[in-house]
Formats: sequence, C-alpha cells, structure tokens
Amino acid sequence: MVEKMDDFERELKEQLQAREVPAGFTERVMARVPEQRVSSWKWVGFGMPAWRWAVAALLVAGMVAGGVEHDRQQRIAGARAREQVLLALRITGSSLRDVQQKVSRGDR
Amino acid sequence: MDQSPETFRGIVERHQGRVFSIAFRILGESGVAEEVAQDVFLLLYRHLPRLASEEHVTAWVRRVACHRATDALRRRAARGDAAAEEYQDGMALRPVVRDMAPLMNRVEQLLLTLPPQQRAVMLMRYQEDLEPEDIAVEMKMPLATVRSYLQRGVKMLRAKAERTLKEYSRG
Repeated sequence: MVEKMDDFERELKEQLQAREVPAGFTERVMARVPEQRVSSWKWVGFGMPAWRWAVAALLVAGMVAGGVEHDRQQRIAGARAREQVLLALRITGSSLRDVQQKVSRGDR
Repeated sequence: MDQSPETFRGIVERHQGRVFSIAFRILGESGVAEEVAQDVFLLLYRHLPRLASEEHVTAWVRRVACHRATDALRRRAARGDAAAEEYQDGMALRPVVRDMAPLMNRVEQLLLTLPPQQRAVMLMRYQEDLEPEDIAVEMKMPLATVRSYLQRGVKMLRAKAERTLKEYSRG
C-alpha cells in the first residue's frame, strides 16, 4: 500500500536525495578488490591454499580411520585365536583325564 | 552475479551514492562514512555470487550499509565520542552538529538528533523511498515499530525544524 506524504515529508524526501560520493571513491574501492580476491583464495599457511589443506585433512582422516579399523580387526582375530587355543586346551585336558581314568582302571 | 571487475565497477558506480548517503547520514562524518561505504562494497564483492539480481544487490547494500553504519556509531559511542551520542540530546542542536553545517544540509543535521535505529528507518523511507511494509521486511522489524519510528521521527523533525527556524529568524 502506497502511503501519501504531506508537504513536510515531501520536503524531507527532497532534502534526502543521494549525496555525491567523495571524488575518487570508485577507484579507492576497486584498488582494494585485488586484496579481497587474494584473501578469498587465502593461503592458510606452509605454502598451501585452503582447498589443498582440505584434501590433506581428508586423506589424514581416511588414514586414521583405516588404522583404527585395522586395529579393531586385529583385536577380533586375536580374541578368536585365544578362544580357539582355550578350546583346544579344554579338549586336550578332558582327553588326558579320560586316558588317565582308563589307565587307572587298567592298573586295578 | 559474477565477480568480474567490469560488473563490480558498474555495481559500485550505481550504488555508491546510496551507500555513502546512508553511512554519512547515520554517522554525520564524511571520513568515517567513506570507510564504512568502502567496507560495504568489499563485503558485497564477496557476496556477489550469492546475489541473483540487481534487486537483491540493492536490498543487500541498503541493509548492510544501515547495519555497518549503526555498528560504527555504537563503537564511537562506546569510545565516548560526543557526536555519536548526539541523538540523546532531546531538543537543541549541540555545537558539534552546528560545526558540521558547511558539510550538511539542515535536514541531515536534524536527522542526527534522532536515535540511530530511527535515523536508519527515516532514511529507508525518505531517501530510499520505501514503503513502511518494505522497510519492515528489509530491516527485519515489526511493521508497528517502523510506523511508530516514522510517525515520531517526522513529528520530532517537524518540531525541531520549526524551533530552529524561529531561532534563526530571531538571529
């Protein structure tokens, strides 16, 4: 909805037309743009731009995740092997007991 | 919009009057207003790829110029700059504003006696020719607040204008 202005408001509007900018303003802004362009491709440090750091971070994260997974698999395999050894020992123990009982009965 | 130097220069040339005027009329000082205006354009440069059209650019520069200028004013007030607190002076123009007379027209001087937020709303209405509904949207303010700022602002400016006119005619 367009609101009507009275005389005073029209005077305000008249007095508040856009001002002239100081001479050379555009050039001063444009002179600062290259700085912005460089800073938008900001070199984060050690001579590498930001996107390379991102790739490197992804690779490191992948390697760490791979290492953790490998470690977990190793632990699982170790636990399985231990269980197998214990099972074998239990079987051997019970077999030895059976043999010992048979030998004892034979002696009598 | 693309960030080519030609496109950006065109945008700066089209909007510099608007941005500088907003900053100048909120801050009341040409040097600081230019710094703020330059910062607005450098920020705009980074945002250009996210702005789809000239209308978006216009709305963006208006909003950011208002925010940046009122922020700068707040920083000056925090440092105890007298000019930044001019709006607290209820009725009379302080000497500091009178000293700016060669640089400013009478309405700009009177505008500086309003609180910063109200200054910004008055500029959106009378410099940028926006309707109250559009001001509310652009400045993310309730419409009732915008209307109240405008009504009270016009009333205060009218009263101050009449008073200074009388003082002037009395000599």
